[in-house]
Amino acid sequence: MTRARIFLTLAGFILGLAAGLVYSWILSPVEYTDTAPASLRQDFKEDYLSLVASAYVASGDLNRARSRLALLGISASPEALSRLAQSRLAAGRPESEARSLAQLAAVLGERPSALIGTASPTPPVNPAATSPTATISPSPTIRPSATPSPTPGAPFALLSQEAICDSDLSEALIQVLIRDSAGEGIPGVQVLVVWNEGQDRFYTGLKPELGAGYADFTMEVETIYSLQLSGGESPVTGLTSQECISPSGEPYPGSWLLIFQQPSAP
Amino acid sequence: MRTTPRLLFGLILGLIIGLLYGWIIRPIEYVDTAPASLREDHRADYVLMIAEAYAVEQELELARVRLASLGPQPPINFVIAAIDYGVIANFSQNDLQTLNLLAVDLRSMPASAEIDLP
Repeated sequence: MTRARIFLTLAGFILGLAAGLVYSWILSPVEYTDTAPASLRQDFKEDYLSLVASAYVASGDLNRARSRLALLGISASPEALSRLAQSRLAAGRPESEARSLAQLAAVLGERPSALIGTASPTPPVNPAATSPTATISPSPTIRPSATPSPTPGAPFALLSQEAICDSDLSEALIQVLIRDSAGEGIPGVQVLVVWNEGQDRFYTGLKPELGAGYADFTMEVETIYSLQLSGGESPVTGLTSQECISPSGEPYPGSWLLIFQQPSAP
Repeated sequence: MRTTPRLLFGLILGLIIGLLYGWIIRPIEYVDTAPASLREDHRADYVLMIAEAYAVEQELELARVRLASLGPQPPINFVIAAIDYGVIANFSQNDLQTLNLLAVDLRSMPASAEIDLP
């Protein structure tokens, strides 16, 4: 009799437990309708990062960009942004996204902030008080950018082209430095490299530790490359790795350093 | 006669523990959410970022695709909702104008049948 009671109680318990789990997990699960950016799926986080960069380029508001990055709860280092720019470019995303990411990576590399990676409980909306209004002008408002950007219409001119023998470089590189008329590096400038078997594009600013206007490309030995800038005048042709000799007498592949600059305004 | 109360007691006890476990102790975790589930303020800021990007890129189709990640509703609705939220939350005049620019341009664009999600 006692055993039967225990069996009945246990059977009821198991049935109830199962019903409770079915209800709470399947029929009426907890719904997360008010989530934060930190909970976004990885690909949406990348979209979010890209949007932060594009919005930064549009507004020039670095503090707001940092607040938005902090909300994602991930490390948005310049290196991570650079990798993302390259991967999105490879995935066929719009070039403007890669350019924006490069510009944000460059400016974050110049001015690191402790805010990156620390979640902020406040939404990144601008708290600046404005009186609510029902009539809003449709005119666009583009605010100045915090990073140097190419002067529209001014082409880049090749300032110098130098073969480099640097045994510290592990690979043969085409190093590109792009400056504005004041000599400041410009991030986000597209560089096109073409060789017999193919072509590649990359952007300045993706290695901010080497300067906002810096970009490089790894050469294959015995391949001849041509390089042209977006907004450049004419391509630089005949770039090939030349053999260098180390102090110990061992040969290693040489690199090129190309410096482009926008001419001063007349 | 005594069978039913025992079974009922176990059933209720199990149900309570099951609900406690499923709702409180170990609820379903949504770690891979979509922008559609963002809280209203984050969603408004997401739309603002899209509008800011649009102000520079001027690629309306790209903005529509980005807005489509917020849900199946017409993209213009998300922008209007963001403007409404922005007015309440005292967004700056610049931000409201940026949102408004996107809304105006979306209104002027003929609706397409489908938008590919990113």
